[in-house]
Amino acid sequence: MTMDAPALLEIRGLVAGYRDHEVLRGVSLTLAKGKLATLIGPNGHGKTTLLRCVSGLLRLTAGDIRFGGTSIVGRRVNNIVAQGIVHVPQGDLLFSAMSVADNLMMGAYLPAANAVASRRLEEVYGLLPALWERRLQTANTLSGGERRMLAIGRGLMSGGELLMFDEPSLGLAPLAIDQVYSVIANLKARGRTILLVEENANRIVDIADLVYLLDDGRIVWEGAPHALFDHQDLLETYLGS
Amino acid sequence: MNTFVQILVSGLTLGAMYAISTIGLSLAWGAVGVLNMAQGAFLVVGGYAAYAGAVFLGMSAPLALALAALAGAAVGAGTYFFVVRFMLESATFETNVIIATVGLALIFENVVLQTFGAYPLRQPIRIEGGVNIAATYIPYESIGILVMSIVAMIAVGWVLERTRMGRAIRAVSQNRAAALLMGVPVKVVYLQVLTIAGVLAALSGVMLSTITTLAPTMGYDPMLKAFIVCVVAGLGNIYGALYAAFALGIFEAAVQFFLGVRFGFPAMLLLIILTLVWRPYGVFGRGSTQRF
Amino acid sequence: MRRDATIGLLALIVAILVPFAWPTRYVIEEMTLFFVWATVVTQWNLVFGVAGVFSLAQMAIFAVGGYATGMLGLYLGWSLWLAMFAGGLAAAIFSALVGVACLRLRGAYVALLTLAITQTMYLLIITDTECFYMEGVTCRNFTGGTRGLTGYGDFGFHQLLPYKYTAFGDYFLALGVLCAATIFSVFIIRSPLGLAFQAMRDNAVYAISRGISRFKYQLLVFAASALFTGLAGAVYAGHFRVMGANTLYLSQTLFLLSMMIIGGVGQIWGPLLGATALMVVDEVLKEFVEWRLLGLGLMLVLFAVLWPNGLYGGLEALGRHLRPRGSRQLSAIQPKEMAPAQK
Repeated sequence: MTMDAPALLEIRGLVAGYRDHEVLRGVSLTLAKGKLATLIGPNGHGKTTLLRCVSGLLRLTAGDIRFGGTSIVGRRVNNIVAQGIVHVPQGDLLFSAMSVADNLMMGAYLPAANAVASRRLEEVYGLLPALWERRLQTANTLSGGERRMLAIGRGLMSGGELLMFDEPSLGLAPLAIDQVYSVIANLKARGRTILLVEENANRIVDIADLVYLLDDGRIVWEGAPHALFDHQDLLETYLGS
Repeated sequence: MNTFVQILVSGLTLGAMYAISTIGLSLAWGAVGVLNMAQGAFLVVGGYAAYAGAVFLGMSAPLALALAALAGAAVGAGTYFFVVRFMLESATFETNVIIATVGLALIFENVVLQTFGAYPLRQPIRIEGGVNIAATYIPYESIGILVMSIVAMIAVGWVLERTRMGRAIRAVSQNRAAALLMGVPVKVVYLQVLTIAGVLAALSGVMLSTITTLAPTMGYDPMLKAFIVCVVAGLGNIYGALYAAFALGIFEAAVQFFLGVRFGFPAMLLLIILTLVWRPYGVFGRGSTQRF
Repeated sequence: MRRDATIGLLALIVAILVPFAWPTRYVIEEMTLFFVWATVVTQWNLVFGVAGVFSLAQMAIFAVGGYATGMLGLYLGWSLWLAMFAGGLAAAIFSALVGVACLRLRGAYVALLTLAITQTMYLLIITDTECFYMEGVTCRNFTGGTRGLTGYGDFGFHQLLPYKYTAFGDYFLALGVLCAATIFSVFIIRSPLGLAFQAMRDNAVYAISRGISRFKYQLLVFAASALFTGLAGAVYAGHFRVMGANTLYLSQTLFLLSMMIIGGVGQIWGPLLGATALMVVDEVLKEFVEWRLLGLGLMLVLFAVLWPNGLYGGLEALGRHLRPRGSRQLSAIQPKEMAPAQK
């Protein structure tokens, strides 16, 4: 583990779940500023739940989440977003009857982001030119790849320091997946800190700094992505490859 | 030609009134998931507030109208603070909130009844006179209602389309979870929406009382018609509701003219049954909203 | 099932003893009316609470039963005893039609459509001014218009029973209908049909995957519950010798809705408990009649916000709380069908 940069996100002993079903049973992870960490693991084992806890959508049962050194446990979602955490959710969750431009503006809803929205809008259009061409179309007329780009762009509009992507490749054609990952690599190159959920280890091997393997609510392995491929047993057990 | 103009004018007037109170209902349903059965009571509160302002406080018409809007805002916000707020977590929110707003309606009705009496009152704020167009007498009142409704609609449209608050309202009604993730304080939006719905209903109540009379139960019938408009358009669809409001207003005026006043409402009912059989979520509808 | 039988039997014994214990006209009249409304509410509960269809057409169904009975008696000269069953049948058919119209709709849409149906019926009756027949020099409308439908007689208990006991006739007739309706509702709620509905409410996807057809069951409950509602309407019409559009007032619908909500929706004894509670409250507050709506409204809001399971749900929760610890834990793991109150 590299210790050269200060930790931006620190999770300690996180326990959480839905009603009487515990999904996370004590997860700890650390993400340094400017790094890209990937959560991988089989479906339904808590990856999305973890992101929901960080963004404040789900209350934790136990544990602590620190962002930039201060605990964010118990804060409201809008407060957490204002702190600088962006959650690009699984399945995009776009405002389907709104135009692309309005969707992006929703990303800059909070006052601080709203004040610099027009500048950010330019940045996002620069990074994702397809959105500029479609800016007046409603979101439900977009293709799958464009929808994913819009979800990412909307997330970027808030200007958060930490970007969390929940399976950004889900349901996309191979070409669109490549585009999404080149955008993510681009963001990383610009110094953003990224927490990425992915099921396919091959996709992240080149861009991730750190991999956390999550199974049955626990981190069962952590290390550099290349090291993961040295553990053929892990890949076979958890990822079926 | 004469007949046509007459139907058109009375249809547009009816449609304008339906449209205003329908927008409130539609917003409350779309953004909050509340089928507001107290909407009729909001109308009544607005009508009587304007009356009280003009008669007891000697207010001028615009001032009395403002008082009505204020009263509407108060009951709308009160509905959120005293009722809706406590029910948001409930699994049976959709039906429970209908019952709670029914209760609210009864409370408002009773208070108005005890304060102003059951005897129908004449709304002092009104525009007298009229004008002849194409050999048809058109009261200024109708024109006033039409103008006021259009102004209110443009104002609401502007808020929804051009402002940050309006964008947030639309966002919440389209995807509550995503709105939350954008940092939208969803509960504040609920409050805003119910307040706006209260204001619109109160204004619509004032307009209604100028062409009929003030009575504690006067809101019920227009509320039912506003519901019909919403159902035909699809609950929660604001722009659809506008088209449907005017279409139904003209339809009702035509039925009343050709078949008699008696069949206006039954004909509308038949129309919604047919609409719902054809499209269960309304002509422009899209299922129900899910909360998060 | 055993507990249901005990509760039912106890209530029945009390109901049978009341007219002998307080043989005043007033008590008997009020109780008769109570049985009528209680019947309507238990059947509404089947549609609303058990089948989960938010219908507000209950009083329209009631009115169809009452008006059909009165019209058959008046225009065709039928005995009200015969007309009563025809009225029940007419209500069932009417309700099935309403059911068909509502089948593909969900919650709020059903409420609106059925409310509109009730209101339309009301408007059509009170605006009925055409002469259908002449009674002497007065013109009578087909539906009776605003004055109400009269002149079809009653159940004829004053010929059958000694003078002192004439009021007992309607009393026991209404009680009989209530008993039949209650047994039917216990049967529905405890039967596989009731469980099927429970499954549909709890998990629609699962229910559909198990081949439970919403269409069929919903229609069945709509029609069958309307039979008893229509009978209650017929008893009402026969008892008062007049059937009026006042039964279709929104306030009446809301009064009965309050009974159901306050008693406990979806539970066997909830509606009866609620009907009793509201009749008692109404009686006690007779002096403050001008604030009646306010009281009803406050109760509706309070129960919807604070106790959505109603009085019966509250009593059950209290019962669970008072029971010793061991059995409480046991009841917590009972299968769902044993505890329909928990929703």
